[in-house]
Amino acid sequence: MAGASEADAQLVEPNTTETDAVAGVAVGLSAVLFALAVAAMFERVSLTGSLFGVQTVTLLGGLLTALGVAVIAFGAGSRLGYVKTTPDPSAGLIAGIGAAVPWVVVGGAVASQTLGLGTTVGAVAGIATGGVAFALTVLPREDLGSTLPLGSLLALTGLVFLTGVIGPTWVWELGWAQQAAITAEFLIPVATLFTTLYGGWASAKAYGGFGARGRHMGAYVLVYLNALSIVAFLFILVAFVVVQGIPGLLNGAEIGLGTGPQTTILGISVTLPVSVPFVMNGVALFNDFQGVLPAIVGTVWLVAGAVALAVPLGVGAAVFLTEYADRGRFTQVVEVATNGLWSTPSIVFGLFGFAFLIPRFGNGKSLLSGMITLGFMLLPLVVITSREAMLSVPDEYRDASAALGVSKWQTIRSVVLPAALPGVVTGVILGVGRIAGETAPILLTMAGGTFVPGSQTVDVIGGFQFTASPPFVANPALLEATSALPYQLYALISAGVGASSNVGNADEFRWATALVLLIVVLSFYAIGIATRYYFRRRLTHT
Amino acid sequence: MSENTTQQTQTASTDDRSPTDDRSPTDDRSPTTTAGETVEQTREEWTEYEFRGETKMAVEDLDVHYGDDHALKGVSMEIPEKSVTALIGPSGCGKSTYLRCLNRMNDRVSSARIDGSVTLDGEEIYQDGVNLVELRKRVGMVFQSPNPFPKSIRENIAYGPKKHGDLDTGLLARLLNRSDADERDELVERCLRDAALWDEVSDRLDDNALGLSGGQQQRLCIARCLSVDPEVILMDEPASALDPIATAKIEDLIDDLSEHYTVVIVTHNMQQAARISDQTAVFLTGGELVEYGDTDQVFEDPHSERVEDYITGKFG
Repeated sequence: MAGASEADAQLVEPNTTETDAVAGVAVGLSAVLFALAVAAMFERVSLTGSLFGVQTVTLLGGLLTALGVAVIAFGAGSRLGYVKTTPDPSAGLIAGIGAAVPWVVVGGAVASQTLGLGTTVGAVAGIATGGVAFALTVLPREDLGSTLPLGSLLALTGLVFLTGVIGPTWVWELGWAQQAAITAEFLIPVATLFTTLYGGWASAKAYGGFGARGRHMGAYVLVYLNALSIVAFLFILVAFVVVQGIPGLLNGAEIGLGTGPQTTILGISVTLPVSVPFVMNGVALFNDFQGVLPAIVGTVWLVAGAVALAVPLGVGAAVFLTEYADRGRFTQVVEVATNGLWSTPSIVFGLFGFAFLIPRFGNGKSLLSGMITLGFMLLPLVVITSREAMLSVPDEYRDASAALGVSKWQTIRSVVLPAALPGVVTGVILGVGRIAGETAPILLTMAGGTFVPGSQTVDVIGGFQFTASPPFVANPALLEATSALPYQLYALISAGVGASSNVGNADEFRWATALVLLIVVLSFYAIGIATRYYFRRRLTHT
Repeated sequence: MSENTTQQTQTASTDDRSPTDDRSPTDDRSPTTTAGETVEQTREEWTEYEFRGETKMAVEDLDVHYGDDHALKGVSMEIPEKSVTALIGPSGCGKSTYLRCLNRMNDRVSSARIDGSVTLDGEEIYQDGVNLVELRKRVGMVFQSPNPFPKSIRENIAYGPKKHGDLDTGLLARLLNRSDADERDELVERCLRDAALWDEVSDRLDDNALGLSGGQQQRLCIARCLSVDPEVILMDEPASALDPIATAKIEDLIDDLSEHYTVVIVTHNMQQAARISDQTAVFLTGGELVEYGDTDQVFEDPHSERVEDYITGKFG
C-alpha cells in the first residue's frame, strides 16, 4: 500500500506529468511505426515513394531515431534522478537475452559485410557486441538497463535509414548457389517492425516508471502490438483476395429488371433482377462472360452431402461413447483412433476414395464418392467435439432426469443432446471450414474438367428418378463427375496459358474463383455460427 | 422405553467402569478418535423407534460398498408415512448414500454394491423385475444444488409427465386436436402452487429456469419432483446452497408437504433438523446409524454420548 500512495503523491507533481506525457508519446510513436512497417511489408506503402512530403525511408529512419533518443533520454533522466521512478536493481536475464539477440546480428553483419572482415571475425564481433549489450542490460539499474542498449539499437537503425546507408534500392546478394538476395523492400519493414517492438516495450516500461508497474505496462504494449499485427495480417489477407477478385467477379455484372437469367422457383419462372455472369454461368464457347456456377453448386452439394453423412454418424458414436460405453480401454482406443484419423493427410482419404469407393459407384469419379470421402474426413472431428460437448453437460441434469423416472435414452434425447448441441455445431463449423477447401480428395474422387459448361451444373434434387425395379430410386446426378471451387482453382492455375485463353483474362478469373471460394466457405461459417447462436439462446433464454 | 435405556446407560457408566463400555460424560480419560469423537459401542435399542401410523419405507440390514470402501454398515430403520424424517451426521457418514438407496439412485454409480433390503409399502425394491421408472416416480428426489434443466419453467415441470406419456403436447397431438395443453397448464400451476412458487413466476412461465434465483430454482426443482405425483420425497441437503430467507421458505414448504407426502431429508444444519422433522436419525463416522428416534428425544436427551457430543458441537 505504501508504494501505491507514493506513486499517487508523485502524480500530482507537474514535472512527472510532463515526462509521463513524453513517454506516452513515445509509446504512441512506436504504434505508428509498427503500423507503417506492417503496411510497408505488404506494399501498401511504397518505400521508394514519399509520405507527407518526406521520403518513406527517411521518415521511418527519422521516427526510429527520435524514438531511440527519447528512450535513452528517459532512462538516463531516471538514472540521474531528474525523473522519479521506481526501478528494480536489474532489468533481468530475459530482457538481457532479448537485447543481446539483435545486437549479435548487428555486430556480426557490420563486421563481416560492411567492414568486409570475413565470417569468423564477424561471428566473434557479433558475440562480443551481443555480450556487451547483455552486460549493459543486466548489470546497471533497471531504468538504464532496459533503455540504453535498446535505445541505441533504435537510434542506430534509424540513422542507417536516415543517412541512406540502406536506401530503397539497397540489395545484399547472398552469393549462394541459388539466386538469393535480401532486398531493402524486405529488410526495412522487418527491421522497423522488430526494433519498434523493442522501442514500444522500453518506452512503455518508462511510462510505467519501471519496477513492477513498468513491467506490466511493457507486457501490455507487447501483447497489444502482437494482437494488432495478427488482426492486421488477417485483414490484409482477406482484403488482398477481395481487391484482386472483385474485377473478375463483377465482370459484366448488371442490376435492373429483366437482366438476370431465368430460373424456376417452386414451379414459377422468374427473371432475376441481378446478373452476375461469373457466378451464374459456366464456361461455353458463345458466352459473353465465363463463370464458375458448376463449381459453386458442386461445392455446396459436396459439403451438404458430407455433413449429412458425418453428423448423424458422429453424434451417434459420441452418444454411445459418452453415455453407454464404460470408460476404459475401449473408449481410449476409439479416442486415439479418432484423433489419428483427424490428423490423417487428406490425400490419404482421397486415395482411399479412389481405390475403394470409385470402383463401387460406377467406376468413374462421381459426386457421391466425393461426398462420402469428405464425410469420412469430417467424421472424426464431429466425434471428438460432440464427445467433449456431451462430457461437459453437467451430471446434475442426468441425475435430475433419472430421479424423475425418465429412461436413459429419453434423457439423452431431451436433456443431454440439446445442452450439447452448441458444442456439436462448433465442431461441424470447424470441420466444414476444412473440407470445403480440400482439393486433394476431390481431385481423386470427383473432379471433372477444368472449364465446366453451365449445362453440366449438378442438379441433385432434380436428378432423383423413380425406377420400376429395386431400389426404386435412382439419381444419375450423384454418380457424375462434377467440379468444386478449390479443384477449379487448382486446375486453373495448373492448366497453363493455352487452356486459359478460353476465359479471356485468366489471372482475373483465378482471383475471382478464389474470392468466390472464400465467400462460400465464409457463408458456411455464417450459417454454422447462426445455428450455434440459436441453440445457445434456446438454452439460456428460451 | 427410551427412558429405560437412558437409565441403563447411566447405570452402566456409574457402576460398571469397564474399558470397553465407557461412556461417562464426566470421564476425561475416555478414548477419542482423531476427529475428537469418543469411542463407544453402538447399541441396537438406540435405533429402535416406535411410532404410530403406517410404515412407508422399511430398511433392513442395508450395507453399501463403494469398491473397497464400506460406506454404510448394517443400517435398519423404518420410515413412517406422511411425516418428516431428518438424517443428520458429519460429512462422509453415509447419510446421502443411505438416501440414494431409497430410490436406487446408487445404481447409477458403477462401483456401488448394495446388500440388504429396502421395502416401499411392503414391496422389496431391490429385487429382479423392479420397474425403476415406477419406483422413481413414486420416490422422488431433490438434490443439494438446484439443478433445473436449461428449459422454460413450464417445460421443467411438464418434463417428467411428458416423458412418461401422461401429457402429449407434441406437434402430432396438436394437429389431431388431442393436445393436453390445458392439462399441462393445470399441472404446472398446481405443482408451482404446492411448491410455493406460483405467485413469483406465474407471469413468466416461458422464461428460462436458469434465470431464477437459487431459492426459486430449488423450489422449482421441488415442484418438478411433485409433477410426477410421488409418495415419498427424498431431499439431499436442499437448503445448503441457499441464503437464510430462501431456506426459511423451503422449510415452511417441507412442513406443508409432510401433510401429503412422506419426506426424508438429509441436512447438515442441526437447528433445521430440530425445527422441521418429526423423527431424526443420526449417522456417525463409519457409516453407522447410531441413534434414531423422536426428534425431541434425540436432541434433548440422546442415548449415545457421541450423538450428544455431535449435537452440542464437540465434533463434526
